[in-house]
Amino acid sequence: MTLFSKANTNNVSLRSIWQSAFIRNNAPVLLIYIFILFLVFIGSIYSDRFLTASNMVNILRQSIVLGLLAIGQTAVLLTGGMDISQEMVARLVGLTVATIFAAFDSNPAMILPLILLGVVLGVFIGGLNGLLITQTHAAPFIITFGVAFILRGLNLAISSTPIRGIPSAYLEVYSAKIGIVPVNVIVMGLVWLLAWVFTTRTLLGRRIFAVGGSERIAELSAIRVKGTVVRAYIISSIFAALAGLFLLARTGVGDPSAAEGMTFQAIVASAIGAISLYGGRGSIFGTLGGVILLTLLGNFFNLMQVNIYFQQLLLGVIVLIAVAGYKSKRLGAL
Amino acid sequence: MKSTTASPKKISLFPDFRPTPRLVSAVDLAGQWAAPIMIVIVVIAAAIFAPAFLSPANLKTIAIQVAVLGVVTIGQTLVLLNRSIDMSVSAVLALGAVIVVQTDAGNSLVISLIQAFAIAAIIGLANGLLIAKRHVPPFIATFGMLVFVGGARLAYTKGQSSGTVPEFLRMISIKPVGTIPAALLVWLAVNIIVIVVLRYTRFGRWVYAVGGNPGAAKYAGINVDWVIITSHIFCSIFAILGGLLLSGYIGYVDLRMGSDYNMNSIAAAIVGGSTFTGGRGNMFGTAAGVTLLIMLLNLVVVLGLPIHWQYAMQGIVLVLATALQGFRQFLLSR
Repeated sequence: MTLFSKANTNNVSLRSIWQSAFIRNNAPVLLIYIFILFLVFIGSIYSDRFLTASNMVNILRQSIVLGLLAIGQTAVLLTGGMDISQEMVARLVGLTVATIFAAFDSNPAMILPLILLGVVLGVFIGGLNGLLITQTHAAPFIITFGVAFILRGLNLAISSTPIRGIPSAYLEVYSAKIGIVPVNVIVMGLVWLLAWVFTTRTLLGRRIFAVGGSERIAELSAIRVKGTVVRAYIISSIFAALAGLFLLARTGVGDPSAAEGMTFQAIVASAIGAISLYGGRGSIFGTLGGVILLTLLGNFFNLMQVNIYFQQLLLGVIVLIAVAGYKSKRLGAL
Repeated sequence: MKSTTASPKKISLFPDFRPTPRLVSAVDLAGQWAAPIMIVIVVIAAAIFAPAFLSPANLKTIAIQVAVLGVVTIGQTLVLLNRSIDMSVSAVLALGAVIVVQTDAGNSLVISLIQAFAIAAIIGLANGLLIAKRHVPPFIATFGMLVFVGGARLAYTKGQSSGTVPEFLRMISIKPVGTIPAALLVWLAVNIIVIVVLRYTRFGRWVYAVGGNPGAAKYAGINVDWVIITSHIFCSIFAILGGLLLSGYIGYVDLRMGSDYNMNSIAAAIVGGSTFTGGRGNMFGTAAGVTLLIMLLNLVVVLGLPIHWQYAMQGIVLVLATALQGFRQFLLSR
């Protein structure tokens, strides 16, 4: 009798799987990965070119720019803010670095100093965003929106035509491979791992979650709220600068229309990855799922030869469906 | 004796900052009167440095641009008063112009006008439902709508522009009535209607109540969701009206038409004394903000500066105005 009841409690039915805390807490993230598998399944049925190693590697490489922006955006979203200036930071870094490369006659010795310069530019603009937001108590997305427009003017002042003169050694950032796997895909994998360690295992990462959850409680727990927020914006801009440097290697020219519309895609990727837009909730795995899903969809559209004019419409439909399924998780909301 | 419940040390640029009542009222006045004062300064500066600014032809250009942006900004102010924001106005504006201008020869003007306004109402309704019922952050919901409506327009036109602007649109836009263009009269008429509605009707008081404190408004028996949805519907309708005026003014419809109206309408409303936390701002301030912004943008052209300084100008105006309003709100809430 006792044996029977014991067996009964251990009986793993579908309902008890559903009721397990892990599934319930991570349902949105798991849903994305299920959806990704579903898309891969459909794609492999539709075309035999889809589920090949080269196409999969290609998708991973296409996801790098969006991934970099989304990691930075996630850090800011977790504090309860938003960074609209990302794509303009990426563009500014690309144009500045390209201009200096051209001025130094494509000297390969300039590569490392210029990468450093790009990152410093990111730190500077991120610091500016963070200080403007924390010191004036203004709405984050509008401040960064304004900064984005200032940078747009600045970018057009630098150049309105593509800038040539990138040293060929720099293009290796995009094209270097080990076997068939590009080096940048491996590095990006490490970056995702570092991002996970950062959000879950470091002091600043946990402070960002705390500030996003409740600024008041974070302040009472002796966390420097303003300093944490400023650091989050600096992280966001650094990743935007890295995305700009990667785009420079991909296109091979300083492109004055680089990264158009990527900021919003980064926000959408984080949002469908269940990063709360009110801050304080979410996991970097969700962001990874969102990034892969969006990249996969782009690849899918091209494979199915969807008319370019309908691609934006479909993206809009997906965004609206994702947004309509969005559930407010703000603590103590009205 | 020291208090045991000492508040944590504030991290700020000015650690011992205590706003005096005089400072609070000064910043409040500055927030309300910044736009009118700046208009006077800009006009005086323009009269000294760029006499061409005050020529009748240029003033007529300014008047029409003020009217177009003014109509759109009235809608934007309406949603800002409700703690919401509308990022989809530029897409709605362009879509309206496309529907009316690119109509087939068989369709009469009246039917295409009805179509345009009905579609605007549906888009506004969708925005309002997402924000009020699904609690999606307004910025994300309306930005998703921007992508969707932009995609719908692209799918409808295939990126081509065709058709001619009906005579009726030219008539309500640039045809002079006496010495002033008709568009300015349309703007004044809309302004008067909205001011009367906001000031003397139940709906107007509800808008301010919901913006001031949604929780209190709910307990006072106001249907908060309904007020937010209605405001969004009117915002989209005003955006379409702005699009009709704009197409009548420039005389054609193209792909990039009206793309900076999001930015400009928000900046103008904020300069004119609206805040992101709702409940503050009025149509007089908005009118002043619109006039100031258009004058500054026009000054860039009159002074012969490169056109990309317009972007930088928009960004600087938005950042400064947001910083001022954010600081004002912060001081008032102490």
